[in-house]
Amino acid sequence: MVVYILKRLIGIVPVLVVTLIVTFGAIRALPGDPVTVMLSDHSANVEMADRLRAEYGLDRPVLQQFVDYSTHALRGQFGFSYRYVHVPVIEVLGTGLVISPLLALAAIFLALPFGIIAGTFAAVHRNQFADTAVIVILVIALSIPDFAIATFLVYLLCIKLGLLPVAGWGSLAQAVLPVAVLAVPSAAYIARLSRTFMLEVLQQDYIRTLRAKGLGERLVIYRHALRNVLIPVLTQAGIIFGGLLSNTFVVETIFNIPGLGRLAIESVFARDYPVAMAVVLLFVLFFVLINLMIDVLYAAIDPRLRARMAAA
Amino acid sequence: MITRSFIKGFLCTALLAFACSAAAAKTLRVNIQADPAMMDPITYSELVSGRIIENVYEAFTTKTPDGKSVPALALSWEPLQSGYGFRFHLRPGVKFHSGRTFTAKDVKYTFETLLDPTMKAGLGAEYLKNIVGADDVKSGKSKDLKGVTVVDDNTIDVAFTKLDVLFPIYPIYIMDSGIVAEQGPDWMTKVSAGTGPFKFTQWKRGVEVDLTANKDYWDGAPKIDDIRFLIVGDANTALAQYDAGELDFLDVYEPIYQRVLGDARYKDQLLSVPRAQSRYLGMNQKLYAPFKDKRVREAVSLALPRDAMIKGLYGGAAFPLNGVVTPGVGGYDPTLPPMKYDPVMAKKLMADAGYPDGKGLPPIMITCSPEYKDELAYYADQLHKVLGMPVTVNVMERATFIKAMNAGEVAFFPWGWTADYPDGMYYLAQMWYGPSPYNRARYSNPDYDHLIDEAQSTIDVQKRYDLYHQAERVLLDDWAMAPLPIEASLALRKPNVHNISNTPFGFSSFKDTTID
Repeated sequence: MVVYILKRLIGIVPVLVVTLIVTFGAIRALPGDPVTVMLSDHSANVEMADRLRAEYGLDRPVLQQFVDYSTHALRGQFGFSYRYVHVPVIEVLGTGLVISPLLALAAIFLALPFGIIAGTFAAVHRNQFADTAVIVILVIALSIPDFAIATFLVYLLCIKLGLLPVAGWGSLAQAVLPVAVLAVPSAAYIARLSRTFMLEVLQQDYIRTLRAKGLGERLVIYRHALRNVLIPVLTQAGIIFGGLLSNTFVVETIFNIPGLGRLAIESVFARDYPVAMAVVLLFVLFFVLINLMIDVLYAAIDPRLRARMAAA
Repeated sequence: MITRSFIKGFLCTALLAFACSAAAAKTLRVNIQADPAMMDPITYSELVSGRIIENVYEAFTTKTPDGKSVPALALSWEPLQSGYGFRFHLRPGVKFHSGRTFTAKDVKYTFETLLDPTMKAGLGAEYLKNIVGADDVKSGKSKDLKGVTVVDDNTIDVAFTKLDVLFPIYPIYIMDSGIVAEQGPDWMTKVSAGTGPFKFTQWKRGVEVDLTANKDYWDGAPKIDDIRFLIVGDANTALAQYDAGELDFLDVYEPIYQRVLGDARYKDQLLSVPRAQSRYLGMNQKLYAPFKDKRVREAVSLALPRDAMIKGLYGGAAFPLNGVVTPGVGGYDPTLPPMKYDPVMAKKLMADAGYPDGKGLPPIMITCSPEYKDELAYYADQLHKVLGMPVTVNVMERATFIKAMNAGEVAFFPWGWTADYPDGMYYLAQMWYGPSPYNRARYSNPDYDHLIDEAQSTIDVQKRYDLYHQAERVLLDDWAMAPLPIEASLALRKPNVHNISNTPFGFSSFKDTTID
């Protein structure tokens, strides 16, 4: 198991290297440069523009800038932000480093139980009223975009009823809506998956055997069938987490949360190269790590996979 | 059951937190659109930072809500006898936020720091370029700025290589010379080093910037205790926060102008003023031959119905501009006649110029950044309809567009120029003056340049304004450009907040603001 995890961790390195190259290339390919953005309307002042360009090292050949950036990044040095004068990148990322993954994790931990229970419930009551009702709710939750749900909830709960703060970050009350908005579409997606998988599992021979042995329906479903539903759902959880991470871009903007998603957008617009690079690398790292975690979780659920990993 | 009581308890806590924040009512909560890029007067170079810095730091003069420059850190000044320059008499008894007394030494220190090549200095450094010895400090040759002499604690002489009559009104914010020794080079995000009515207390990146009242302010302590600048990037979020009572004063961003203007609820809370931004349709005569003919330039202007544009295109969020200098800026000429809309005359002028119904005109692109794409489509359509001009729309990424304009590579474009200080010279000497790098349409007129040269060496304010008026008329008679309506700056103020105004240069100082 340890060997397996180590192997996977080593595999992360090439992924990050490729990300580094692609991101560096993509961000430099954007029109406009940091100094022009910084000076905006004053950028015709060639003297000032040249002075700043030299101070930020932007007057060197791009290849040299890349080599310098990569060697520094390997040593864990991400340099100084362009937009925030004299502030190191690490400090700009600051609390955002925790906020975005925290939002995504809170949402997925909320979405998983809700989704699985709703999906199982629907599958068990297949073709009955309860099933149809769940499906209708799922379709609604999946098809309304999150910014629309957010706007509606803000209007209802914050402005009309005054129960929760509209936006901001710092108190538990301010986290309720963003996490809920993030979780809704994921929960609906998980519910749909669980329902399908559950229906498939319930057709299997071993379920018939269990029932034939006289095992209670509750035990059949929640003890034996559910376990087999969890594996495919967990496979998707990695992808769902990735989706949630990128949805934090939207939610953080709407609820004004100082996370990495909002920072990513701001740094790209400001052509704050060092910050934008760091944010993208971090998102990729989160994504890879969460997928590794899920693979390890499989083993905990499925003994066959555990054996295969041990053999590898 | 457990969950229900949990939610109940949770909501009660949330409500309680609300009630508490409402009780501490002497805090003014205002939104800003992004994190400030800096909090110090040295690297200061952008609008958002300015909103905060102008409450914390002061310059020789400050501007009143109606755009007049009045003495602040300097009590008075007079021209130097020995040559170009000024002697400033500084306000005695002013204290920095650190408790130290403000003296002439701090002024000299600030100037030298601004010119120091290692400081990544922003706009402030540009105002100092005419001071004797500025180049030596900028190139690192010298640490001492020769042209600035400390006469005594409250008197300082500033000598120039060439006369700079506006120097006293430049917003060069003066900082405490003792702060670096006391707090280290990263003092900027820890303390404030100004003399202004508010002190910087903290900056929670992405969340808020907080200021607290300076009880020892030389012009009397502010009436409120604190200001919280909440960083809210999204226009709709900011409005929702204002509606929910989480903001006392709202800087309205453009995407929701129509929503705010169209809602009767906000009518009594709305503060709408023309920005200090001179807007125009630039016509580069070197890039598009027909623009060489004055009649064509005039026809373009006559083809634009300004009143209808203000109502329709800008949805009411604009004000007429009949020249270059905008209202609320020194040297504004209120006697200029309104811009005419006369399609018949416009057609006739085009025919006289040899382009009847636009026949014979080569195709032309009208270019701007993405936020102005609707406006571009409007001009293209209107000019085609009235003059038969074959105009196509070209939307360009903002920084690339600015770069191209600065290089004089854009033939036809709507743009604006925002004044950094309240004097018409800011527009006149930069936008249309021959040698200026910001003369983006590459307009050139020796008569005009001569008037500007003269104004730049006229110390007497009224005489200088007269020269502005003459220069402005030279531009208008020559149809150097077509003036465009000035965009409005909108803000909303809760009924319990008083003595706060929205000015062409942003909000007035929060020094006299009160909250019921």
